[in-house]
Parts: sequence; C-alpha cells; structure tokens
Amino acid sequence: MSAMIGPSKTCRTMTTVHSDTVPDAGGSSLCSDAVDREPALRFDGVVRRYGDRVALDHLTLHVARGETVALLGPNGAGKSTTISLFLGLLRHDAGSVQVLGMSPRQAVADGRVGAMLQTGSGSGLPPGVRVATALQMVRQLYRRPASFDLTVERAGIGSLLSRPTHRLSGGQAQRVRFALAIAGDPELVFLDEPTAAMDVESRRSFWRMMRQFGREGRTIVFATHHMQEADEIADRVVVINHGQVVANGPGATLKAAVAVRQLRFVTGHPDEDLLDRLEGVTDVVVRGTGVALNSLDADATIRALVHSGVAFRDLEVTGAGLEDAFVALTGGDRTPDGGGTT
Amino acid sequence: MRGLGAFARFEVVRLLGSWKFLAITVGFPVIFYMLFLRNESAGSIVDGAVPWRVYLMVSMCSFGALVAALNAGGSRLSTERASGWARQLRVTPIPAWSYVTTKVAASMLVVLPVVVLVELVGMAFGGVHLAALSWFELTGLLWVTALPFAILGIFVGFMVNADTAYPVVTALMFVLGYFGGLFNPVSHMPHVLQTTARFLPSFHQTSIGLALLDGRGFGIEDALVLVAYAAVLGGAIGWKHRIEEARGIA
Repeated sequence: MSAMIGPSKTCRTMTTVHSDTVPDAGGSSLCSDAVDREPALRFDGVVRRYGDRVALDHLTLHVARGETVALLGPNGAGKSTTISLFLGLLRHDAGSVQVLGMSPRQAVADGRVGAMLQTGSGSGLPPGVRVATALQMVRQLYRRPASFDLTVERAGIGSLLSRPTHRLSGGQAQRVRFALAIAGDPELVFLDEPTAAMDVESRRSFWRMMRQFGREGRTIVFATHHMQEADEIADRVVVINHGQVVANGPGATLKAAVAVRQLRFVTGHPDEDLLDRLEGVTDVVVRGTGVALNSLDADATIRALVHSGVAFRDLEVTGAGLEDAFVALTGGDRTPDGGGTT
Repeated sequence: MRGLGAFARFEVVRLLGSWKFLAITVGFPVIFYMLFLRNESAGSIVDGAVPWRVYLMVSMCSFGALVAALNAGGSRLSTERASGWARQLRVTPIPAWSYVTTKVAASMLVVLPVVVLVELVGMAFGGVHLAALSWFELTGLLWVTALPFAILGIFVGFMVNADTAYPVVTALMFVLGYFGGLFNPVSHMPHVLQTTARFLPSFHQTSIGLALLDGRGFGIEDALVLVAYAAVLGGAIGWKHRIEEARGIA
C-alpha cells in the first residue's frame, strides 16, 4: 500500500504560493503525471436527478491513486450526491461511475472503501455500546482489517475506548466515526463534511490525522464548504456548483485564477493602451469614464497608476481572497438547499 | 456473508446490555403473569379443552415474545436509523439486506429466553405440568411463531420516528395483547371481539400453542395467518427500504 505514494504529493507545495505570485504553467503541471495514472475514481459524464431537479449535470471527475482531493462547493452543489454515487448509496441516471476499476458496490463489498458520511444531528454511532465494542465489530465485517491497535492509534481514540458511544462530544464522536471508516484498512476514503461538528482545535487534530493517513498512500476524497480546509489539506481542489465542476486544480492555482483584484475608478479620458501597460494589469474594461482593471498585483498597479499621472478618483479595490475565489467560481450563489443533503 | 455473525452477536449484546430493554421485556410478562395468576377463574377450563392455567402460561409466553420483539425493534431501531449508524453500515462490506435480516434474527434470539422464562414461571408458580417432550415442542413452536412479532418490531422502527415509535410500540403491546386474547381468553369476550381476534397475530400465536397441548395438533389456520403477517410486514419493510435506497438515505 505504501508503494502507492504518488507524485501527486508534490502538488502540496503549490499551496504555499502566495496569492500575489503568478504560478507558472509548469507549476500546475506538477500534478499531471498523477492524473495520467490509472484513476482510483472515475466519474464520466455522470447525471443524477432528484425528480425534476438535476443534482449532477454531466459531471466528470477523475481521482488518481494516492491523491487527496477536496470537493468544494456551496450547500446543494452536488458534493454529497457525488460521494453517495461513489459509495453506491445512490445510482446514477446516466454516465459511468467506477471505483478502483469496478462498480462502487463491488468496491464497498470488497472492503476497499471506507467512508464518513454526514449524520445530521445524529452521532452516526451505534447507541448502547462501548467504543471498543463498536470498533471491534466493524473490523470483523472486513476481510483484511487493520489491526485494532493501529486503527485506534490512527484515529487517536485510545482514551475513548471504554466510553459508551452516547457519551462522546461532537469532536470525539467524529474521531470514532473516522476510526470506523478506516477500520477495514481501505485504500480509498470518503469524508463528507467531516469536520462539521468540530471546534477549531478538533479540526486541526483531525486533519493532522487525515494527512498522516493520506501519506500512507491512501486516496482521500472529502467534501467541504470551508475554502481554507480544502486549500490546506488537499492536493487538488475540485469546485462543484450546480452539479458541475467549475474549477479543478491545486488550491493555489485556483486561488491564482481568481486572485485577480479588480481596481475600479473614474477618470476623465481613459486611455486604454496606457492602462493596459500598467504593471500587473491583465484586463481593462472602460465604460464611459468608469474604468475597471483586473490586476494580479493591485499594489503595483496602483503605484504605476499614480506615477502615470492619470487623474483618477473614487478608487475601489475588490477581490480576491480564497473566499472571493470561491464566490467567483461558483457565481457567488449559495443555494439555500436544506443543509447539504445532496 | 463474512461478518454477519459478528454483527448479529453485536446486536444481541446491545439488546441485552440495555437495562431499559431488559426491564420491560422481563418485567411485563412476568408481572402480568403473576397478577393474572390470582384471577378467580384459575382452575377453570378454557374452551372446554385447556386448563385455564395452561392457557395463561401460553398466552403469557406470547405476550413476552410480543413485548421482547416489539421493543427490540421499535424506537431503538428508529433512533439508530436517525443517528446515521444504519447508513454507516451500508458502506461496510455486509450486504444491504443483512441489516434488516440481522435485526430480525437478533429480535428472535432475545425472544427465546423470554419464552423460556415465562415457562419457568409457569412451572414454578403457575401449576403447569407437561411432559418433557411437550415443553420442548411448545418452546420451539412459540419461538418460531414469534417471527411476525419480530418483523412487526422492525417494521415499526422503519416506518416511524423514535418519538412516535415509543407510544406505537406500547399501544401495539396492549392492543395485540388484549384483543388477541392474551389477558383474557377470547371465548370469554363479547362476540364482536371474538371475530376481530381472528385477524390478529397474537391470537393465532397463542392458539397454535394451545392447539399443540390440547391434542388438536398443528394449527394450520393459525400458521397461515402468522405466515401472512410475516410476509406482508416483511414486504412492507422491503418496499420502504427500496424507496430509501433510491433516494440514497438508506
């Protein structure tokens, strides 16, 4: 299993790029060799409808073995539907879904897949037993489970083993659910909003665990609507909205794609050529006396603008943190859709 | 198939580890039995064939099986379905159908000791004396014929949420108990209730046990009604399960 540590891990370095640096084309291609390998997950033109509503609209997504991929999107974007289809919990209406080269149900039946699903208000744990009993039982459902002690260590639940499952805090329950998800030593792990019920500290330690698990060569796919989580943890971020992939690449690339800031101001006689030559500017839009400049380096552009002697007023700079990147990519619309059940 | 044994054992351990479940399951039939034993009609003959005390023991076995089976499913099941645990099991290697069948099997496993317990009370305090073989046959028959109750308990857990399941289970215990003639022989009830009793599984489960003891042999009609109940309730669970599966929530 450890032989599977893929070159995709090198993508991690991309996320350290600052938003004011333009990543070169070669940078983003660091991941391409990972993508070329036989994918752990393959989603081709997948359509899923709920009645009249189209939840996934010809969605295509491949995940390489050993890759950690974040599915990022607003509630109702199709993240949970995607995960449910990969797990065989739902059937697709069109397209094809393959997990480790087989049908999702086969992959689950073979014990090669683990998952932490959304549980709403519930704990997702069997009531009325101790943590150790639940873990021991779940292990026995798999042909080749990880050892009990290893799973306990991986999930950091050593101190919780003798607790009844209904006497756990949100973060503790989440860790136990993680232990159950990896009890079968799966090659592939799906996590649907895994840190939803956690405070900051639990989140941090959860992702530490997760990253360690990923380093062992596992393929990890998680859904989140926290941009930062996606950016920090994943090799690659897939932004989904309205059931389609709207962006796909290392976190930094995505950020850069929209880390463009916009400068708006009003000036008497806009000279487009001059404005276009200002440092950092990538795009100029002039409407009457109103000018909008897209810039990859707002500070430099403003300095250049001042030096150019152009008389401007009402300067306004907008954009573009991760949040804005996300908003820009998803068209800024967060569909209020019943708390992310899709 | 791997792991189903572990899952079933886990389910039984969870049931037997619940004080609430044990208190209800042991308490209700035993206390009711002891109370009914003081009834003045003790010593009479029911339906011209069975001594009243034998009737009472068999009907209390039925009641015990009913209480155990309904409470093994019921709100326990709807609670854990709502908690997301049932769904979590769907992403383990055990097949989808095994959740329901294991639940039914676990209910059946806890029904058996309850039937035996009530029989022991019958032996010790109820003045019931049977041949060894009859005890054996009666136990087996009452156990097997508790299957519709076990399925009914799972059915309730599948159909309603935990808040509703609790009163529904309580109501079913007493409706099926009283109108099925478990607390008072059906022949002692008004005519209309004698008719309605024939539609209830509880009546037929007691009846099939009594038939064995009073020499009528195997109650075919009773068996058919019980099988029909098991099939219809089982079918309804399967139907609900398929709907949930299509929506991705099972």
